[in-house]
Order: sequence, then C-alpha cells, then structure tokens
Amino acid sequence: MSAAAIGKPEVGLEGLTRLRLAGPLTAATAPQFRARVRNVVQRGHARVMVDLQAVTGLDAAGIAALLDARRALLAQAGGTLVLRTNAIVCRALKDSGTIAAFALSHGSGM
Amino acid sequence: MNAVEHQGADAPSHPDSRPAEQGIVISRGLRVYLRTMTPADLRHLSGWVDDPFLERMVGSEFLHSYKHVWDKSPAFYEAVLNDPTQVALMIEACHGWTKPVGVVRLFNIHLLEGYAFLETIITDMRAMKRGFGIEAAKLIAYYGMDVLGLRRLEAKVYEYNVLSMNSLRRNGFRQEGVLRQAGYDGERYWDLVIFGILRDEIEAVRRRDKVYLPLDPSEGNGRESS
Repeated sequence: MSAAAIGKPEVGLEGLTRLRLAGPLTAATAPQFRARVRNVVQRGHARVMVDLQAVTGLDAAGIAALLDARRALLAQAGGTLVLRTNAIVCRALKDSGTIAAFALSHGSGM
Repeated sequence: MNAVEHQGADAPSHPDSRPAEQGIVISRGLRVYLRTMTPADLRHLSGWVDDPFLERMVGSEFLHSYKHVWDKSPAFYEAVLNDPTQVALMIEACHGWTKPVGVVRLFNIHLLEGYAFLETIITDMRAMKRGFGIEAAKLIAYYGMDVLGLRRLEAKVYEYNVLSMNSLRRNGFRQEGVLRQAGYDGERYWDLVIFGILRDEIEAVRRRDKVYLPLDPSEGNGRESS
C-alpha cells in the first residue's frame, strides 16, 4: 500500500477537530497530510486530534510531518495537537525519540 | 470527544503519476532523481552487497545489514520502509540507464535535535564520475532540510576514498575531524574522515545552484509555498 487515505476533518463536542489517517504515513504520503493540516489551520481550527489508529507504517518523513503539524498548531492561540495512536505508531515514535514531544491518546476517540 | 459529522475518507492522491510499484519520485535533479524503494529493488541490493569494490570503498552498514543481518530476506524492505531513523532512496539516472545507479540515505536521523548522517552509494562503475553521486547527495540534503527539518548532516569517509571526499567538498561539506584507525578492511586499519554541513551552508549551495529550487509539494518535497 503506497497511499494514505486522509479523512475530512470532523469537529467533536470538545472542540477538537479530528483528522483520520489510514495506510502508511511515509515519504510518499506525508505531503498529502501536510497539505491537509495547512488547510485545517487556515480554516481556523487550532485544536486538532490526528487519529492514526488505522496507520500501517510511519517513517521519518511522516513523523517530521507530525512535528510540523504540532508546531503549526501550537503557534495558534489555544492550539493543541493530540495523536490517537496504535502500536505501530507508538513504536515509531519511541524509536525516533520523538514520543515525548506529542500528547497521546489511546482512547476510543470521538 | 464525539463526532457531530461523519464523512468518508478522501480518495488518496499520488504525489506523481507513476505506478506505486515503480516507487514515488521524491526529488528530481538534472542528472538523477530520487525515488522510494520498492520490493523489486531488493534484487539490485542483492547484487550490490556482493561487490567487493563497494564493500571496500563505502563499507555501508545498510548493505552489510541486508546481507549479514537480514540474510537478504524480503522482510528487509518493510524494515527499511518503517524505520523512523532512516530515509533510503534509490538513485535513478534521468537518461541512459535502465536500472538504479545507486542508493542514497539519511540515517541515524534525530528529528528533534535536527541532525542525521548521509551515505551515498553509486553502484554502477559506468555511472561514477558523472556527477550522479554529487547530485543525489545534494537532493537528499535538501530533502533532509526542507522536509525533515534537519539543520546538520554528517558523513564519514575512508581516508583512501578520495572521490567521495571531493564529492562532499563540492557539496559544501567541511572536514571536521579524523577518527584515527577507526575503519578496518580485513587487512589493516584506516582513518575515517568526518565531514559535516550546517543548514545555512546547504542553503548557500542551493543559492549557488539556482536550478535546484524547492519542488512543488505535490511532487513530494513538502516545503510550504511562500
């Protein structure tokens, strides 16, 4: 599988906008995710949950895109980024030494 | 958190029009372009790992791992693809070649600290001294800076690999030190020469080579348009 499916943003009751990703978030697919995050920020959403539970692979380019999303959102007033993870994502974040940079949610989401 | 709206996932869009099994083009230069690895590339790696010239000149941990740790297993492909500490890209010549001329990678990537190590391997003797390695290293350096947010790259070269040292210097790398007798080729110990480059120096190289403008995000660079 070489493409990531990125769902359209959903706004939850707690004001968190959820972006759902499926498939790999890698060098080949990270540009799509970056574009989607830019779009979400431009539309004024500053509190975002990225749902990665259906992500099947995460490489350095994917993690860099998540770090950039975090930077972009934290630069907004009241901005926040929460990652809803699975085992693959957690492993990649640990291996890359970036896991402490993110707020993680292991719950059921919206 | 509860959804008040549910919409299906968008249809995925590809960064370029190539079939996924041919790899996705990540960066494109005048002489070469870089693409993601595919499972079919393992047969190229299988040949390269048995080349004693490459072993002596590069001493690549990447190739060594494929041969000796993974025993040329197909699982190596998935392991590389999902390794968050490296980006390995195949080097394809823009003209005149029907198979990859090498592999270039960033490894030991430290995203938060902003540094990584560079390895460039030109595997086809006919492709050497044509500027392919220089351009491939340049492209992945830009990728590391623009997409991964790196601010420093480092490379190690055996003291006898003058071609690689000259290539690094032409790309703006500076010699930063020598690891005395840190390399062993099976017969004797050799010094390893350490090269490094910082973000502003990479930018200076890009300004010098005006043709290497940031790619459109749709082709995989990920740099935001200004």
